[in-house]
Amino acid sequence: MSNKIISLGNGVEGLFIQNHRFNTTSVSFNFYLPMHKATVADNALLPFVLTSCSKDYPDFTALNLKLNKLYGARLDASCEKFGDCQLLCMRISVIDDKFSFDSDSLVKQASELLMNLIFNPNTQDGAFCDSDVNREKRKAIEHIKGEIAEKRVYAKNQLISEMFKETPYGIPKCGTVEDVEAITPKSLYTAWLNMLKTAFVRVHVVGNAVPTGLFEGIKEKFQQIERQNITDCKICKATVPAKKVNTVFEKMDVKQGKIVMGFSSEMYGDDDLSLPLMVMCDIFGGGPYSRLFSNVREKMSLCYYCAASSVRYKGFLTVDSGVETENAQKAIDEILNQLEIMKKGEFSQNEFDSSIKSICDSLNTYYDSQNSLDLWYALKINNQNLYSPEDIIEKIKQITKEDVVYAAKGVNLHTIYKLLPKEGVIC
Amino acid sequence: MLRETIHGDIGESYVKAVHSSGLKIYILEKPQYNSCYAIFGTKYGSIDTCFSVDGEKTQVPEGIAHFLEHKLFESEDGDAFSKYAKTGAYANAFTSFDKTCYLFSCSNMFYENLEILLDFVQSPYFTKATVEKEQGIIGQEIRMYDDSPAWRVMFNMLLAMYQNHPVRIDIAGTTESIAQIDAELLYKCYNTFYNPSNMFLCIAGNVETEKILKMVESAIKVDNPIEIVREKPQEPQEVPKSEVSQSLAVAQPMFCYGYKLDAQKMPSVKDRVCIEILLEIIAGDCSPLYKKLMNEGLINDDFSFEHFCGEGYNAVIFEGDSFDPKAVAEGISAEVERIKQDGINKKLFSAVRSGLYGNAIRSFNSVESIAMQFVDCAMNDYSLFDEIKYLKSVTAEDVMKRIAAFDNSKTVLSVINPLGDE
Repeated sequence: MSNKIISLGNGVEGLFIQNHRFNTTSVSFNFYLPMHKATVADNALLPFVLTSCSKDYPDFTALNLKLNKLYGARLDASCEKFGDCQLLCMRISVIDDKFSFDSDSLVKQASELLMNLIFNPNTQDGAFCDSDVNREKRKAIEHIKGEIAEKRVYAKNQLISEMFKETPYGIPKCGTVEDVEAITPKSLYTAWLNMLKTAFVRVHVVGNAVPTGLFEGIKEKFQQIERQNITDCKICKATVPAKKVNTVFEKMDVKQGKIVMGFSSEMYGDDDLSLPLMVMCDIFGGGPYSRLFSNVREKMSLCYYCAASSVRYKGFLTVDSGVETENAQKAIDEILNQLEIMKKGEFSQNEFDSSIKSICDSLNTYYDSQNSLDLWYALKINNQNLYSPEDIIEKIKQITKEDVVYAAKGVNLHTIYKLLPKEGVIC
Repeated sequence: MLRETIHGDIGESYVKAVHSSGLKIYILEKPQYNSCYAIFGTKYGSIDTCFSVDGEKTQVPEGIAHFLEHKLFESEDGDAFSKYAKTGAYANAFTSFDKTCYLFSCSNMFYENLEILLDFVQSPYFTKATVEKEQGIIGQEIRMYDDSPAWRVMFNMLLAMYQNHPVRIDIAGTTESIAQIDAELLYKCYNTFYNPSNMFLCIAGNVETEKILKMVESAIKVDNPIEIVREKPQEPQEVPKSEVSQSLAVAQPMFCYGYKLDAQKMPSVKDRVCIEILLEIIAGDCSPLYKKLMNEGLINDDFSFEHFCGEGYNAVIFEGDSFDPKAVAEGISAEVERIKQDGINKKLFSAVRSGLYGNAIRSFNSVESIAMQFVDCAMNDYSLFDEIKYLKSVTAEDVMKRIAAFDNSKTVLSVINPLGDE
């Protein structure tokens, strides 16, 4: 499977990820914009407003009816943090024409619908429609406030905000409640124009074939837009190591506490620079063979879960765990002890082999999921080379124990966030 | 081994086989895929707390099926995870109300992984020390769920909806109930429910059917089939409590609004397809009710619904976040009454049916989804392509017949309120 990037304009790229195994075709528009406090909320709201209605479908139930008629075409919107950028994604996927009762051109219709939503929104006199904006603002605010119900996610986000405070990466990906409240139909319109003019754009098609005329249509659309100051997706600053470890805690009416630890990593950047960090993180706290799972959870029964994950492009790691208050300090000590073991290279060959096997096995499965393939290439935007999962498997197989130890040595504790039950003691 | 090949008209086919032990086997080959997904499961879940074999009745502590699932990963010669670590597979297990499933997904060494799966599930090993250790770990898991509003809102609803049926009990049990579990009880449950005649093996992906069947032939320990009588208490049609609430750390109230449906017999595939369509017509994202609730700010994208059914329980549940859950519940009840009066909008019916048909086709993209659908087939004696078949032929009249089952006097509204609001 070879994928070639096609230029569709200034900072606009098309990528056809050919794969014949699916019953569906998906088309996604990925817009990359720099993360700024002033624009984060407007940008984040855009994909949701744009995929809820358009000039042709001013009412969201009319749009949903159309999607159902297109045999349950799925329309997704999301906003993710990508380095120091925001990634706004709008995607449609639809079953292939051969499955329809009446041989409709479903794939073509679906891709045209998505284009229509993005380029022809329900706007008037330089503003989006009041009711659309208010509805999506309300949902966004409820979503932000609702995060507290998912303690694991909440705790991890609190750690990130603390660890990267006063930098772009510390900004919540959809902004704060106050940021969302400040959005107006006019400010959203400005954000939409800005997105079309300045975002770096990548359009992905995953499936049997590119819908007829899609790439040509996109080219034409962007030719009509004055493209300028295109986002440089490489503007990502590495995590600065902490001079002194910062510990913060919060008390809440919960039965079980959460501890999230953030670590800076000296190894960071794209796949050519940071793959050993992926392996290090996996041996440390990835699968059930990892140091954290087998020691902190299984042997010592200190937590119900204890897992590490890495954001290689930004150069940091997190370990999150659910713990009883009386075990909190013991768990922190043991997590740090396990990191020392990683640094000294005292993990076993068996753990190393298990990790390599597990990572390669899971990379291979990317080819079996349309969304995974789509996201894979959306997150490879900065790579010098457009590596496929297979390419990365080959690279992972070359990694040695020494590479992993080298990566581990650059990992240092930065911030600890504790969510503690109200009645518990602070430790 | 008894076997048959079943062809669907979407270019897929699968093999259903029955081993001499009674084990049901389902295999769908996807040679163009890299990955494989396998589930080895038993018809044994949290609701099976009282059962009889050969006239001998046994009552076991709540949460024991889930406890057994945790313990089975440990064998005398090490735990299953360390065996999977040598192959690189992703392995997991889950216990629900009516089943326990052990699964793996992989893109390499499928047959080695299958051997591990078949072996550890058939090799129980429980000692006093390992049981005690697990009581600590599961105790932590229970406390984690106690903090989960999404979990609590659902279980509070079931507790209010069912008076006697064990579906009202938390799947993991309570700290007190799991304290009563010992090795002997675990063996008793294992020897009853992990008899191959009560089990199923469901596989989809880049696999070879013949090779699997050959492996299974010798790997399954043949036991005398066992006749299990699952004792289920008499459950009244009415709901014991129509409203229930709790306060937890949430930003705005969360709710579950459920209709208790008749559970005398298990719904057929056709029943399920009709109810699925009906739910979309009542509250799906192109329904008039959805539009109204969304425009009034009463629901957001977390609003969803499901048909929840099994042996002796049957309900439809609407759930989400809302500043006014009562208004949402009233809206749903009013819409149910309106449809009973006015009938079903034909245009809406046709669009919803196409949408669900597309979703069913889409589900064949995923080997995990196919394997999970096989579990449903094994549990209920369905065929994998039944849903698509009925979606093609179902009429608005078929769907309309089912709405009579939605009785507004048999509903429960469960709400989780923010702390300090009560």
